[in-house]
Amino acid sequence: MKKRAIVLLSAVSMMGIMLTGCKDAEERVNADGESVITVWSPSDEPAIEQWWVDKINEFNAAHEGSIELRREAIVRADSYAYEDKINAAITSNDLPDILYVDGPTVSVYAANEIIQPLDDMFTQEDWDDFLDSNKEQGTYNGKIYAIGATESSVALYYNKDMLDSIGVTAPDKLEDAWTWSEFKEIVKALTKDGVVGTNIIMDKGEGLPYVLEQFWISNGTDFVSEDGSTANGYVNSPEGVEAAAFLNSLIQEGYANIDPIQKEFHNGKAATMLGGSWEVATLEKDYPDLNWGVTYFPVADEGIPTSPTGDWAAAVTRDVQDLNAAKEVMNFLMSKENVATYAQAIAKPPTRNSSYEVLPEYNEYPRSLFKQQLMETGHPRPRTPSYSVLSASYAEAMVNIFTGVDPQEALDEVAEKTDRDYQKYYAN
Amino acid sequence: MKKVVGKKSERMAAYIFVLPAVILLAAFLIYPALQTVRYAFTNYNIMRPDRITFCGFDNFIEIFQDKDFWKAFTNTLYFTVLVVPFQTVLALALALLISSRRKGVSIFRAAYFSPQVTSMVVVAILWTVMYNSNPESGLLNALLVKLGFEPSGFLNDPDTAMNSIIFMSAWQGAGYQMMIFLAGLQGIPRDQYEAASIDGAGKLKSFLYVTLPGLKNVIKYVVMITVIQAMKLFTQPYVMTKGGPQNSTRTMVYYVYEQGLQKRNFGYACAVAAIFFVIVVILSLGMKKLIKAD
Repeated sequence: MKKRAIVLLSAVSMMGIMLTGCKDAEERVNADGESVITVWSPSDEPAIEQWWVDKINEFNAAHEGSIELRREAIVRADSYAYEDKINAAITSNDLPDILYVDGPTVSVYAANEIIQPLDDMFTQEDWDDFLDSNKEQGTYNGKIYAIGATESSVALYYNKDMLDSIGVTAPDKLEDAWTWSEFKEIVKALTKDGVVGTNIIMDKGEGLPYVLEQFWISNGTDFVSEDGSTANGYVNSPEGVEAAAFLNSLIQEGYANIDPIQKEFHNGKAATMLGGSWEVATLEKDYPDLNWGVTYFPVADEGIPTSPTGDWAAAVTRDVQDLNAAKEVMNFLMSKENVATYAQAIAKPPTRNSSYEVLPEYNEYPRSLFKQQLMETGHPRPRTPSYSVLSASYAEAMVNIFTGVDPQEALDEVAEKTDRDYQKYYAN
Repeated sequence: MKKVVGKKSERMAAYIFVLPAVILLAAFLIYPALQTVRYAFTNYNIMRPDRITFCGFDNFIEIFQDKDFWKAFTNTLYFTVLVVPFQTVLALALALLISSRRKGVSIFRAAYFSPQVTSMVVVAILWTVMYNSNPESGLLNALLVKLGFEPSGFLNDPDTAMNSIIFMSAWQGAGYQMMIFLAGLQGIPRDQYEAASIDGAGKLKSFLYVTLPGLKNVIKYVVMITVIQAMKLFTQPYVMTKGGPQNSTRTMVYYVYEQGLQKRNFGYACAVAAIFFVIVVILSLGMKKLIKAD
């Protein structure tokens, strides 16, 4: 008898262990009857994590009895872990109320009705205050689906001492920005003594389209058509092929490494770098001895000035239950004050014009240059529901071009893969 | 020997003990495997679980015309065909080196085994740094240049990328097989070596006619598990090359991941996975037959 009891007990306990793996669905109302609004966003540096803790406490204290704000920090790392989690939640109808998404993926989620238009989520006054670049990146099919607190931009960082050594001064006005030809001459002269002229992002991932799409735009084309329905004739257009060939020439002629070391520019191994606005804070804090400056994104010889934009933005999902509560939270997260404090904590340019009044550092070089680019030359990444395919195929194609594949051939393949995905899932 | 099948109540207990494992297997292996086959015949986009439609053999027809798939298929075979003998020979050599009872051998045993207990992701990142194509920053290229050779592109050259992965994979994996060989070597009776040496066999001859035949079953086992593991190659291309350059390191499992999760082409990925499953099953059955044959 005793033996049987033990057997039963162990079997039951094993079943128990198995079942604890299952998680309850996202809670929408808590025990106190408050509407629960859950936010998912990638886990970030300690300063941002602290910002979230403080702001959530502040919000919950002000809304006691009506709304409880919660946040889940999701590890993003370098991979697609964040997307995997969203994919799983889509399948189980278990999305949070507010979801932070990366700028160019807004179209993907919008086209699949995962997130909903923000429409009257903000007052007209608020809408007018948000930067155009931010609204543009969040727009799909004429409607705004996501809005972020911070923006990003990329400009050309340079090592002042190295530039002095070849007797060149970097332009300090947008209209004087280096053309591709000038840029190439300069990086050629800078390539010596174990130092390369420039550093091109080589993350084999999202960084490539983020930075390099501007070479397409500056040269008079883009990755996809305006409506996002086709890549053929854009990414692989003659202007696009020319842009790819230019970038490849920098690698082939030895002015940039295909396999750069970490922080190549920071460590004095590259004389220039196309780097993000966030690098200003890193350089100031961790590399005080480096004598650096920053100038505008290079422009195609006959082209237009451009610069990348886009950052993570908040969207409201289709699984939201208490839309008014979600609206309250969105207005709180994107309020004038919170956009400014968030931008300050994360060291990125804020997305509201009014925030720049309280962040005077953006009126001074070097941050002013990024602000100017954002307002005058910023171009968001392509808005197409096939962005995931485009981004991955493009990154792969650039690596292929840098290792010897003909640019036309490689870019044709990007266009073909992107268009096939669009035709299969979104054409009608 | 006592009879294994005992009283009825004991048999009942056995079933109850097996039950959790069966449920787990059913829930996390059998059910998903069946679902994979089902989705292989649909145009499931992971973002649209509400819009799954049956599309017959479309995915399979597309796969057979997909040159990326065929490249992934040949890459996987290439990796397996090269890494299995290389890793097995390396493991056997290491096992022979440390099988003697000399002083300090245990240090080497731990050293050779240590890559095996290190996470593959960590190993892959370390090797990516060592394989850096710039002699200024890559350890291996610095060494090559010092010795008077041309620097190699390693992971950045489509001709050398897969071989670089094969080398580091064998280095990482050999420690485990080495341990199995070591156990096998200890199982060969000493007197066979003594008899061989009395008959005048040198080191080479006693290796060929005593050690190898004595290890026959162990070698079969090692080859079989290495083949199955090699077919599943994923982490190294994922961390080191993203399948590139020029498709040279894209493997079948990486392709399934890429299509299904990254590009959200879930139905298509399921079809690739189903084909992969069939290939692995055929391979395992074939090997089992070969091994049984002698």
